[in-house]
Amino acid sequence: MSRTELWAQVRMAWSVLSGQVAHEVHPGRERIEVAPAPDLGPEAGGAIAAEGFAEEALPWLDAVHAFTLRLTGGDRDAAEDLVQDTFVRALRFWHTFERGTHVRSWLFTICRNTFLHGRDSARSRREKPLADMDPRAEALVGIRSLGRPAPDPEEEFFSRLIHDEVVDAIDALPPDFRDVLVLSDLGDLNYAEIATVLEIPVGTVKSRLFRARRQLQERLREFAVREGYADVPEEA
Amino acid sequence: MIRRAMGMISCDEAMRRLWEFLDAELGPEEEAEVQRHLEVCEKCYPQYDFQRAYFRFMHRVAEGERATPAFRRRLFRRLLEAQSAEEDRNE
Repeated sequence: MSRTELWAQVRMAWSVLSGQVAHEVHPGRERIEVAPAPDLGPEAGGAIAAEGFAEEALPWLDAVHAFTLRLTGGDRDAAEDLVQDTFVRALRFWHTFERGTHVRSWLFTICRNTFLHGRDSARSRREKPLADMDPRAEALVGIRSLGRPAPDPEEEFFSRLIHDEVVDAIDALPPDFRDVLVLSDLGDLNYAEIATVLEIPVGTVKSRLFRARRQLQERLREFAVREGYADVPEEA
Repeated sequence: MIRRAMGMISCDEAMRRLWEFLDAELGPEEEAEVQRHLEVCEKCYPQYDFQRAYFRFMHRVAEGERATPAFRRRLFRRLLEAQSAEEDRNE
Protein backbone atom coordinates (compact mmCIF):
# COMPACT_ATOMS: atom_id res chain seq x y z
CA MET A 1 0.00 0.00 0.00
CA SER A 2 1.41 3.37 -1.00
CA ARG A 3 1.65 6.30 1.41
CA THR A 4 -1.17 8.06 -0.43
CA GLU A 5 -3.40 5.02 -0.20
CA LEU A 6 -2.53 4.62 3.44
CA TRP A 7 -3.56 8.18 4.22
CA ALA A 8 -6.73 7.77 2.22
CA GLN A 9 -7.54 4.78 4.41
CA VAL A 10 -6.80 6.73 7.56
CA ARG A 11 -8.95 9.63 6.46
CA MET A 12 -11.81 7.36 5.46
CA ALA A 13 -11.65 5.33 8.65
CA TRP A 14 -11.55 8.45 10.72
CA SER A 15 -14.35 10.22 8.93
CA VAL A 16 -16.52 7.14 9.27
CA LEU A 17 -15.70 6.60 12.91
CA SER A 18 -16.28 10.24 13.70
CA GLY A 19 -19.70 10.10 12.07
CA GLN A 20 -18.85 12.39 9.18
CA VAL A 21 -19.85 9.88 6.53
CA ALA A 22 -23.46 8.83 6.50
CA HIS A 23 -24.50 5.53 5.02
CA GLU A 24 -27.09 5.33 2.30
CA VAL A 25 -30.65 5.79 3.42
CA HIS A 26 -33.50 3.57 2.43
CA PRO A 27 -34.69 4.79 -0.96
CA GLY A 28 -38.34 4.72 -0.01
CA ARG A 29 -37.94 7.09 2.87
CA GLU A 30 -36.83 10.63 3.23
CA ARG A 31 -33.30 11.34 4.24
CA ILE A 32 -32.95 12.94 7.64
CA GLU A 33 -30.14 15.39 8.12
CA VAL A 34 -27.81 14.27 10.85
CA ALA A 35 -26.26 16.57 13.42
CA PRO A 36 -22.72 17.78 12.69
CA ALA A 37 -20.13 15.26 13.75
CA PRO A 38 -18.06 16.15 16.80
CA ASP A 39 -14.47 17.16 16.22
CA LEU A 40 -12.47 14.26 17.56
CA GLY A 41 -9.04 15.50 16.61
CA PRO A 42 -6.34 13.68 14.68
CA GLU A 43 -6.01 10.66 16.91
CA ALA A 44 -6.10 7.96 14.25
CA GLY A 45 -2.48 6.93 14.63
CA GLY A 46 -2.83 3.98 12.27
CA ALA A 47 -4.82 2.51 9.46
CA ILE A 48 -7.09 -0.43 8.98
CA ALA A 49 -5.29 -2.37 6.31
CA ALA A 50 -8.09 -4.73 5.28
CA GLU A 51 -9.03 -3.51 1.83
CA GLY A 52 -12.47 -1.93 1.70
CA PHE A 53 -13.26 -2.51 5.37
CA ALA A 54 -13.18 1.16 6.32
CA GLU A 55 -15.29 2.22 3.35
CA GLU A 56 -17.81 -0.61 3.34
CA ALA A 57 -18.16 -1.95 6.87
CA LEU A 58 -17.56 0.99 9.17
CA PRO A 59 -20.34 3.20 7.75
CA TRP A 60 -22.78 0.78 9.40
CA LEU A 61 -21.42 1.45 12.86
CA ASP A 62 -24.36 3.59 14.00
CA ALA A 63 -26.95 1.21 12.60
CA VAL A 64 -25.30 -1.76 14.30
CA HIS A 65 -24.99 0.26 17.49
CA ALA A 66 -28.71 1.07 17.45
CA PHE A 67 -29.48 -2.61 16.94
CA THR A 68 -27.25 -3.71 19.83
CA LEU A 69 -28.85 -1.19 22.16
CA ARG A 70 -32.21 -2.78 21.59
CA LEU A 71 -30.85 -6.33 21.69
CA THR A 72 -29.34 -5.60 25.08
CA GLY A 73 -32.41 -3.79 26.37
CA GLY A 74 -30.63 -0.44 26.46
CA ASP A 75 -27.54 -1.57 28.36
CA ARG A 76 -24.99 0.79 26.78
CA ASP A 77 -21.90 -1.01 28.08
CA ALA A 78 -23.17 -4.36 26.84
CA ALA A 79 -24.18 -2.79 23.54
CA GLU A 80 -20.73 -1.25 23.00
CA ASP A 81 -19.04 -4.55 23.88
CA LEU A 82 -21.27 -6.25 21.34
CA VAL A 83 -20.45 -3.66 18.66
CA GLN A 84 -16.74 -4.11 19.33
CA ASP A 85 -17.00 -7.88 19.13
CA THR A 86 -19.00 -7.58 15.92
CA PHE A 87 -16.53 -5.33 14.14
CA VAL A 88 -13.46 -7.17 15.42
CA ARG A 89 -14.94 -10.40 14.14
CA ALA A 90 -15.92 -8.77 10.86
CA LEU A 91 -12.37 -7.46 10.43
CA ARG A 92 -10.93 -10.87 11.18
CA PHE A 93 -13.14 -12.58 8.62
CA TRP A 94 -13.22 -9.71 6.11
CA HIS A 95 -11.18 -11.78 3.65
CA THR A 96 -14.03 -14.32 3.54
CA PHE A 97 -16.68 -11.70 2.82
CA GLU A 98 -17.86 -11.90 -0.74
CA ARG A 99 -17.41 -8.41 -2.14
CA GLY A 100 -20.39 -6.97 -3.89
CA THR A 101 -22.88 -8.67 -1.59
CA HIS A 102 -24.73 -6.91 1.20
CA VAL A 103 -22.21 -5.95 3.82
CA ARG A 104 -24.81 -4.60 6.22
CA SER A 105 -26.77 -7.85 6.42
CA TRP A 106 -23.46 -9.67 6.90
CA LEU A 107 -22.58 -7.34 9.79
CA PHE A 108 -26.01 -7.64 11.38
CA THR A 109 -25.81 -11.41 11.10
CA ILE A 110 -22.44 -11.44 12.87
CA CYS A 111 -23.86 -9.10 15.48
CA ARG A 112 -26.95 -11.16 16.17
CA ASN A 113 -25.04 -14.45 16.26
CA THR A 114 -22.49 -12.95 18.62
CA PHE A 115 -25.29 -11.73 20.85
CA LEU A 116 -27.09 -15.07 20.85
CA HIS A 117 -23.87 -16.94 21.54
CA GLY A 118 -22.97 -14.56 24.38
CA ARG A 119 -26.45 -14.77 25.84
CA ASP A 120 -26.44 -18.56 25.77
CA SER A 121 -23.03 -18.61 27.44
CA ALA A 122 -24.18 -16.13 30.07
CA ARG A 123 -27.29 -18.16 30.70
CA SER A 124 -25.36 -21.34 31.23
CA ARG A 125 -22.96 -19.55 33.58
CA ARG A 126 -25.62 -17.85 35.64
CA GLU A 127 -28.26 -20.52 35.27
CA LYS A 128 -30.95 -17.94 35.21
CA PRO A 129 -32.88 -16.34 32.35
CA LEU A 130 -31.87 -13.02 30.88
CA ALA A 131 -35.23 -11.59 31.90
CA ASP A 132 -34.18 -11.81 35.55
CA MET A 133 -31.39 -9.35 34.97
CA ASP A 134 -31.83 -5.60 34.92
CA PRO A 135 -31.45 -4.94 31.21
CA ARG A 136 -32.92 -1.48 31.01
CA ALA A 137 -31.28 0.20 33.95
CA GLU A 138 -29.33 2.57 31.74
CA ALA A 139 -31.64 2.61 28.77
CA LEU A 140 -32.37 6.26 29.14
CA VAL A 141 -28.89 7.57 29.75
CA GLY A 142 -27.99 10.47 27.53
CA ILE A 143 -31.24 10.60 25.69
CA ARG A 144 -32.71 13.86 24.60
CA SER A 145 -36.12 15.21 23.96
CA LEU A 146 -37.23 15.06 20.40
CA GLY A 147 -39.58 17.97 20.75
CA ARG A 148 -39.42 20.52 17.95
CA PRO A 149 -41.84 22.71 16.06
CA ALA A 150 -44.41 20.55 14.36
CA PRO A 151 -45.54 21.59 10.89
CA ASP A 152 -48.62 19.38 10.67
CA PRO A 153 -50.88 17.18 12.82
CA GLU A 154 -49.08 13.97 11.90
CA GLU A 155 -45.71 15.46 12.75
CA GLU A 156 -47.24 16.92 15.91
CA PHE A 157 -48.32 13.48 17.10
CA PHE A 158 -44.80 12.10 16.92
CA SER A 159 -42.96 15.24 17.90
CA ARG A 160 -44.64 15.26 21.30
CA LEU A 161 -43.34 11.83 22.13
CA ILE A 162 -39.89 11.66 23.61
CA HIS A 163 -37.15 9.20 23.12
CA ASP A 164 -37.56 7.19 26.31
CA GLU A 165 -41.24 6.55 25.67
CA VAL A 166 -40.42 5.16 22.26
CA VAL A 167 -37.47 3.14 23.49
CA ASP A 168 -39.66 1.63 26.21
CA ALA A 169 -42.37 0.85 23.68
CA ILE A 170 -39.86 -0.82 21.34
CA ASP A 171 -38.33 -2.82 24.18
CA ALA A 172 -41.79 -3.95 25.25
CA LEU A 173 -42.45 -5.62 21.89
CA PRO A 174 -42.08 -9.40 21.71
CA PRO A 175 -38.41 -10.08 20.77
CA ASP A 176 -39.26 -11.56 17.36
CA PHE A 177 -41.22 -8.45 16.45
CA ARG A 178 -38.74 -6.07 18.02
CA ASP A 179 -35.77 -7.47 16.07
CA VAL A 180 -37.54 -7.11 12.73
CA LEU A 181 -38.73 -3.59 13.52
CA VAL A 182 -35.34 -2.40 14.74
CA LEU A 183 -33.53 -3.86 11.74
CA SER A 184 -36.01 -2.20 9.39
CA ASP A 185 -36.97 1.09 10.97
CA LEU A 186 -33.78 1.92 12.86
CA GLY A 187 -31.30 -0.08 10.79
CA ASP A 188 -32.75 0.60 7.32
CA LEU A 189 -32.37 -3.01 6.18
CA ASN A 190 -34.73 -4.20 3.47
CA TYR A 191 -36.94 -7.27 3.78
CA ALA A 192 -34.50 -9.64 2.07
CA GLU A 193 -31.62 -8.46 4.25
CA ILE A 194 -33.67 -8.90 7.41
CA ALA A 195 -34.64 -12.39 6.27
CA THR A 196 -30.95 -13.21 5.86
CA VAL A 197 -29.98 -11.84 9.25
CA LEU A 198 -32.79 -13.53 11.17
CA GLU A 199 -32.85 -16.66 9.00
CA ILE A 200 -36.58 -16.47 8.38
CA PRO A 201 -38.62 -16.26 5.16
CA VAL A 202 -39.32 -12.84 3.64
CA GLY A 203 -43.05 -13.42 4.15
CA THR A 204 -42.45 -13.84 7.87
CA VAL A 205 -40.39 -10.64 7.90
CA LYS A 206 -43.31 -8.75 6.39
CA SER A 207 -45.95 -10.14 8.71
CA ARG A 208 -43.83 -9.59 11.81
CA LEU A 209 -42.81 -6.10 10.71
CA PHE A 210 -46.35 -4.96 10.00
CA ARG A 211 -47.64 -6.37 13.27
CA ALA A 212 -44.72 -4.83 15.15
CA ARG A 213 -45.39 -1.41 13.64
CA ARG A 214 -49.07 -1.68 14.47
CA GLN A 215 -48.28 -2.64 18.06
CA LEU A 216 -45.69 0.07 18.44
CA GLN A 217 -47.90 2.77 16.97
CA GLU A 218 -50.80 1.61 19.08
CA ARG A 219 -48.69 1.88 22.25
CA LEU A 220 -47.43 5.31 21.28
CA ARG A 221 -50.95 6.41 20.47
CA GLU A 222 -52.23 5.16 23.83
CA PHE A 223 -49.44 7.03 25.56
CA ALA A 224 -50.07 10.21 23.59
CA VAL A 225 -53.78 10.14 24.34
CA ARG A 226 -53.20 9.33 28.01
CA GLU A 227 -50.78 12.21 28.39
CA GLY A 228 -53.02 14.58 26.49
CA TYR A 229 -50.61 14.90 23.57
CA ALA A 230 -53.12 13.65 21.07
CA ASP A 231 -56.75 12.92 20.60
CA VAL A 232 -56.76 9.99 18.23
CA PRO A 233 -59.63 7.69 19.11
CA GLU A 234 -59.41 5.62 15.97
CA GLU A 235 -56.57 4.33 13.88
CA ALA A 236 -54.73 7.31 12.46
CA MET B 1 -62.77 7.38 -1.16
CA ILE B 2 -61.75 6.05 -4.50
CA ARG B 3 -63.76 3.38 -6.25
CA ARG B 4 -62.26 0.96 -8.73
CA ALA B 5 -62.38 2.99 -11.90
CA MET B 6 -60.05 3.84 -14.71
CA GLY B 7 -57.59 1.23 -13.51
CA MET B 8 -57.42 2.75 -10.04
CA ILE B 9 -56.87 0.35 -7.13
CA SER B 10 -59.29 0.40 -4.19
CA CYS B 11 -58.61 2.06 -0.84
CA ASP B 12 -58.33 -1.34 0.80
CA GLU B 13 -55.75 -2.41 -1.74
CA ALA B 14 -53.80 0.83 -1.39
CA MET B 15 -53.71 0.53 2.39
CA ARG B 16 -52.78 -3.13 2.19
CA ARG B 17 -49.72 -2.18 0.16
CA LEU B 18 -48.90 1.04 2.02
CA TRP B 19 -46.01 -0.17 4.16
CA GLU B 20 -44.43 -2.07 1.29
CA PHE B 21 -44.81 1.09 -0.78
CA LEU B 22 -43.06 3.17 1.87
CA ASP B 23 -40.41 0.49 2.30
CA ALA B 24 -39.73 0.58 -1.46
CA GLU B 25 -40.48 -3.13 -1.66
CA LEU B 26 -43.11 -3.06 -4.41
CA GLY B 27 -42.48 -3.68 -8.08
CA PRO B 28 -42.66 -0.63 -10.40
CA GLU B 29 -46.21 -1.35 -11.54
CA GLU B 30 -47.65 -1.91 -8.07
CA GLU B 31 -45.77 1.11 -6.79
CA ALA B 32 -47.22 3.31 -9.53
CA GLU B 33 -50.72 2.08 -8.72
CA VAL B 34 -50.37 3.03 -5.06
CA GLN B 35 -48.79 6.35 -6.01
CA ARG B 36 -51.68 7.20 -8.35
CA HIS B 37 -54.20 6.26 -5.68
CA LEU B 38 -52.57 8.36 -2.98
CA GLU B 39 -52.37 11.38 -5.26
CA VAL B 40 -56.15 11.61 -5.53
CA CYS B 41 -57.57 9.90 -2.42
CA GLU B 42 -58.41 12.21 0.48
CA LYS B 43 -59.19 9.26 2.73
CA CYS B 44 -55.90 7.42 2.27
CA TYR B 45 -53.49 10.33 2.02
CA PRO B 46 -53.61 11.19 5.76
CA GLN B 47 -52.69 7.60 6.57
CA TYR B 48 -49.77 7.85 4.14
CA ASP B 49 -48.73 11.14 5.71
CA PHE B 50 -48.93 9.64 9.20
CA GLN B 51 -46.72 6.72 8.25
CA ARG B 52 -44.18 9.05 6.65
CA ALA B 53 -44.11 11.02 9.88
CA TYR B 54 -43.53 7.73 11.68
CA PHE B 55 -40.47 6.97 9.53
CA ARG B 56 -39.06 10.48 9.99
CA PHE B 57 -39.58 10.04 13.70
CA MET B 58 -37.83 6.67 13.76
CA HIS B 59 -34.88 8.20 11.95
CA ARG B 60 -34.61 10.74 14.74
CA VAL B 61 -34.80 7.93 17.30
CA ALA B 62 -31.98 6.15 15.45
CA GLU B 63 -29.91 9.32 15.58
CA GLY B 64 -30.31 9.28 19.35
CA GLU B 65 -28.86 5.76 19.34
CA ARG B 66 -25.65 6.73 17.55
CA ALA B 67 -22.33 5.63 18.95
CA THR B 68 -20.62 8.26 21.08
CA PRO B 69 -17.32 9.88 20.01
CA ALA B 70 -15.56 8.23 22.96
CA PHE B 71 -16.80 4.84 21.88
CA ARG B 72 -15.79 5.48 18.27
CA ARG B 73 -12.26 6.16 19.47
CA ARG B 74 -12.24 3.00 21.57
CA LEU B 75 -13.54 0.94 18.69
CA PHE B 76 -10.93 2.31 16.31
CA ARG B 77 -8.14 1.48 18.77
CA ARG B 78 -9.60 -1.98 19.34
CA LEU B 79 -9.67 -2.67 15.61
CA LEU B 80 -6.06 -1.63 15.25
CA GLU B 81 -5.10 -3.89 18.16
CA ALA B 82 -7.00 -6.79 16.62
CA GLN B 83 -5.29 -6.13 13.32
CA SER B 84 -1.81 -6.18 14.87
CA ALA B 85 -2.64 -9.33 16.84
CA GLU B 86 -3.74 -10.99 13.61
CA GLU B 87 -0.56 -9.88 11.84
CA ASP B 88 1.54 -11.28 14.70
CA ARG B 89 -0.27 -14.59 14.44
CA ASN B 90 0.36 -14.77 10.72
CA GLU B 91 4.08 -14.06 11.00
